[in-house]
Amino acid sequence: MLEISNINAYHGRVQALWDVSLRIEEAEIIALVGANGAGKTTLLNTISGLLRPASGRIRFLGERIDGLTPHAIAELGIAHIPEGRRLFPIMSVRENLEMGAYPNEAWKKKEKTLEHVFAVFPQLKERAGQLARTLSGGEQQMLAMGRGMMSRPKLCMIDEPSSGLAPKLVLEVFKVVKSLREQGITVLLIEQNVQHTLQIADRAYVLENGRIVSEGKSSELLKDDHIKKAYLGL
Amino acid sequence: MIMKIVDVLICGLLLGGIYALIAVGLSLQYGVARVLNISHGELIMLGAFGTWSLYTFFDINPLISLVICGPVLFLAGFALHKTLFKSLLKSSGSIGAFEGSSLLACFGLLFIIQNIAITSWGADIKGYSYLSVPVNLGGAIFAANRLVTLAFAVGIGITFYLFLARTRLGKAIRAAAQDPAAAGLMGVNINHVLALCFGFGALMAGFAGVLLSMCYPVKATMGLEYTIIAIIVVVLGGLGSIPGSFIGGFILGIIGSIVSYIEPSLSLAAYYIIFILLLLVKPTGIMGK
Repeated sequence: MLEISNINAYHGRVQALWDVSLRIEEAEIIALVGANGAGKTTLLNTISGLLRPASGRIRFLGERIDGLTPHAIAELGIAHIPEGRRLFPIMSVRENLEMGAYPNEAWKKKEKTLEHVFAVFPQLKERAGQLARTLSGGEQQMLAMGRGMMSRPKLCMIDEPSSGLAPKLVLEVFKVVKSLREQGITVLLIEQNVQHTLQIADRAYVLENGRIVSEGKSSELLKDDHIKKAYLGL
Repeated sequence: MIMKIVDVLICGLLLGGIYALIAVGLSLQYGVARVLNISHGELIMLGAFGTWSLYTFFDINPLISLVICGPVLFLAGFALHKTLFKSLLKSSGSIGAFEGSSLLACFGLLFIIQNIAITSWGADIKGYSYLSVPVNLGGAIFAANRLVTLAFAVGIGITFYLFLARTRLGKAIRAAAQDPAAAGLMGVNINHVLALCFGFGALMAGFAGVLLSMCYPVKATMGLEYTIIAIIVVVLGGLGSIPGSFIGGFILGIIGSIVSYIEPSLSLAAYYIIFILLLLVKPTGIMGK
């Protein structure tokens, strides 16, 4: 579904991604694991068009998307739930969700999708009229995920959904990520919580200093000595 | 005494309605499109002179000029953003650099537009008389054009507010004002929305110019004063807040009217004092975060 080949990307003059290649098949959950500053967020930004790669190709459903603008990429069916949630603080919960359905096709179905999102996150329905900035951290993350679902994406990229949340809410976030796959949505997930992430992901890629250093089935990576030592603290 | 109060209040509301439109326009251009358009007043002047010319030479009703001058200025603003400001945005490395370079570009536009106006209309004061029949309101006498102007200013303001609050494009504009990158991820074509905002800003300036010309004399160099007032109102209302700009416009209009009742030459000085006090006490404005 998504095929990245030999991407190089820069932040100003500093190279952030080195020759990165990655494949995602339909209805997979793929995890992207790595330390802070390893290039995970940069890779997501490159896919969603916020950052233009200096070289390399990105194909989504057979079509080249590198060089397209973020709105064109969103319209193709890629939802990017960014780091730090990036909600619209002085718009209501409902308006934030409606913005998620901005692409033409999704806009036509937005009332139906809204019902579905409210069924997944009943708290959001209760707070539909409230401004997004008045929500608690957990509710804000639910809203960010709900907003991502509103576009009825084929691929959903989620950046650090559990950051800053209480342990109980973290479990809930992972439950939602799993439910996305059950709806047929492919997921690319970045998470600090490597143990949990590898338990729900089918496969994972490990990024270090902007390079992919290993990849494989999650169950195998969980047994890998280097992963255990570097990311699981075992 | 009550007559005097009503008189000052209505004058204040009239000024306030026009200030509100001007400020909403600048707020769209600076708060959303990040262009501190100091040629904003020149667009107001164009709206006013356009109306004067249409009335004087073609006998066209000023209220009809609203739907002529407004859309023309909208298209001009939209085209200006799609050409000049878009290429500046591309060549500037950061949004800070863009704010600097677009400010300079607007400074240039100010002189270009002003000098074209002086060559085509002359440097002297122009005016026309429309709906200047007296109306008695609670004992105070007003020219009907003032009341019509106020009604239109409020009507335009409320319509635009509903547009921003209810429509899909209006929501996209608000989202782009709050977080442009996130709005892009939602599927909003940011460059297009910014150009539309610049166009809507010019539209508001055009409307304000048309309405102004119905009550006040028109001059080729009238723009700068309104630009300064717009900047003060935008800061007063809170940068990027459209309702704030609208309310701030009325507050400043009423203060201006009270001050100029006491001493007409002091009203601009009063605006600056408010501006300075505001920056010292609450720099985020009344509706700011």
